[in-house]
Amino acid sequence: MPKNIIDIKSICHTFSDGYVGIQNISVSISQGEFIILAGKNGSGKTTFLRHLNGLLLPDSGQIIVNGHDVSKHLIQTRKTVGMVFQDADTQIVGDTVFDEVAFGLENLKVKRQKINEKVSLILKDLNLFHLKNRSPFTLSGGEKRKLAIAGILVMNPELIMFDEPFSNLDHPGTIQVLSTIIDLNRSGHTIIIATHDVETIICEATRIIIMKDGRIKEDGNPLDIINRLESYGVREPCSSKLGLGIKPYG
Amino acid sequence: MNNSKQLRMTVYTSLFVAFIAIGAFIAIPVGPVPIVLQNMFVLLAAIILGPTWGLACVAIYLLIGLAGLPVFSGGGAGIGKLFGPTGGYLLGYLPAVFVTASISKGLGKKMSSDIIAMVIGSLIIYAAGVPWLKVVTSMTYEKALAVGMYPFLIGDILKIIAAAFIAKTLRPVIKL
Amino acid sequence: MANLTPFTYRQGQSILHLLDVRCKFFMICLVSMSMLSAHLFACFFYFLILLFFFKKSGLNFFATMTSIKYFILLLFFIFIARALTVKGDILFSFYGMTITEQGLTEGFVVAFKFFLVMLTGLVFSSTTQPSSVKSAVQWFLKPIPFVLEKRVAVMISLALGFMPIIASQAQKISDAQKARCGDLQSNPVKKIIHLVLPLLRKTFLSADSLVLAMESRCYSDDRIDPAFMSSGKEIYFLAGSVVLSLSLVCL
Repeated sequence: MPKNIIDIKSICHTFSDGYVGIQNISVSISQGEFIILAGKNGSGKTTFLRHLNGLLLPDSGQIIVNGHDVSKHLIQTRKTVGMVFQDADTQIVGDTVFDEVAFGLENLKVKRQKINEKVSLILKDLNLFHLKNRSPFTLSGGEKRKLAIAGILVMNPELIMFDEPFSNLDHPGTIQVLSTIIDLNRSGHTIIIATHDVETIICEATRIIIMKDGRIKEDGNPLDIINRLESYGVREPCSSKLGLGIKPYG
Repeated sequence: MNNSKQLRMTVYTSLFVAFIAIGAFIAIPVGPVPIVLQNMFVLLAAIILGPTWGLACVAIYLLIGLAGLPVFSGGGAGIGKLFGPTGGYLLGYLPAVFVTASISKGLGKKMSSDIIAMVIGSLIIYAAGVPWLKVVTSMTYEKALAVGMYPFLIGDILKIIAAAFIAKTLRPVIKL
Repeated sequence: MANLTPFTYRQGQSILHLLDVRCKFFMICLVSMSMLSAHLFACFFYFLILLFFFKKSGLNFFATMTSIKYFILLLFFIFIARALTVKGDILFSFYGMTITEQGLTEGFVVAFKFFLVMLTGLVFSSTTQPSSVKSAVQWFLKPIPFVLEKRVAVMISLALGFMPIIASQAQKISDAQKARCGDLQSNPVKKIIHLVLPLLRKTFLSADSLVLAMESRCYSDDRIDPAFMSSGKEIYFLAGSVVLSLSLVCL
């Protein structure tokens, strides 16, 4: 039985303007899982994800990451739980691809030589090394998204969350990012992907969590849930509609 | 969450540095003299960011340009531009942003007080720019005013009205 | 940025590209300052040196001159203004205006010095990566009290990153408005608002997500110092520029 990375005990969050973000969510996530967090826009997916690395703190309830309470160990949590945001353009901080990946390590005051080694390694792994002196803004959509992943990966997270990783990508870009995510999962990273379009990744997922109105409505094996997706405003994959079950993307 | 608020102001201020730099290139064609938006972004930075961050914003903008990155009008940079004939306007942004922000803050961030604050701010920019232009080029005052101030006044009035409206709409969105 | 200016960085491997950026900063300050009190002859000498480095760093002198033509026009204007206003021995006069010998020389010297300082900055800018400029700024700010030099450096990076985003957004917004015949709008205040308001709104939203992304990556003001790249020849260049500025002042 793999260990639990995250234990969430009945958390609620209401925004200062009265809008209810999430209500009474309890869930555990264990190492190596590949989870799809599905639900239509406004169902609370993003709010939920932001709790997992302490960008938002719950009004009530508790989140435990690797045995530590998130609200008391923010930096530790953010190293363990990485987050790749929806719009790759807006997360770029560095002037070159290399600097962009180094940003997190510079914040943690890692030695310069160690940073150089680590960044080069990650860039080679993700096949971005030849771009290292380019400006991040000149990359293609798929490359930018991979760069965002590299920036998180360099901090050695155990769990990586993706918020709509395939939005606004062309077909080659989608394939690139998809295979990167699959490789990450195979090398032992726990993956959570928030999306309203499950077709691309459902073949790889080990678990689907469906949210609606800030609550978890379904949680289980993709095969059991796939037929009920549309009642929560999530499009059912074509292959499943045609009675062919789950097929790989591409 | 004081740290988080600091980071937000840091990012917003950097955003306005970028707007001031880009503002030198955005021109709206109206009449014979196109309206260049740079000084409007300086005034907007003042009334949205407040005195401290506003001042930091202009200081960093000037620092970037002085250090040689192409952010001054016409893609210029360096000492030659900052202390050149039109350098007075650039250096005038410093007191202008601080005074504008202080007045707008002191009078309570209303549309009318924003307009008063920005009018005074614009005058400070000219008060620094025109004499500088006169000294460097050794023109007469009449001539310096004729090339360095009068042609832009109508555009400035339009920009101030637009800026007051923009600030009013933007403030609730960015919740500062 | 879409609009490439003569001050934009151009990749290269020349000695000026490889020189430590702090050394380049120091040289610029030294030379530009000594230029103020330099004699015309010394200025010509420096101009030749500049031309040599122009060639060495792979810049095209004539193409650069055409791209800064408005600046040159401004210098010409200064030259005329000086020539007309400085009192001295009258060379010729027409329509009540007089041009003096002293005016001509002084106008030429002032304009030429501005030109040289500008050109020095241009050579620096086009051979130095923006990220090393940022690192150097941070290094020079370090001894100044009450300045958070690491935060300033991050803000410079952020601002440089926002610029292409803003420029392309502005283009998109103005295209979208043209598609709805927005250029028929004749009220200039509305024109400004219609361009600037969506631009600010959109970029402030991306700024908000940038804040979150930075927090996720553990941003703090207490960061590691930047690394500098050196060519090993800094000491010769420093010595050279000291000799140059001394001769500029003394000649």
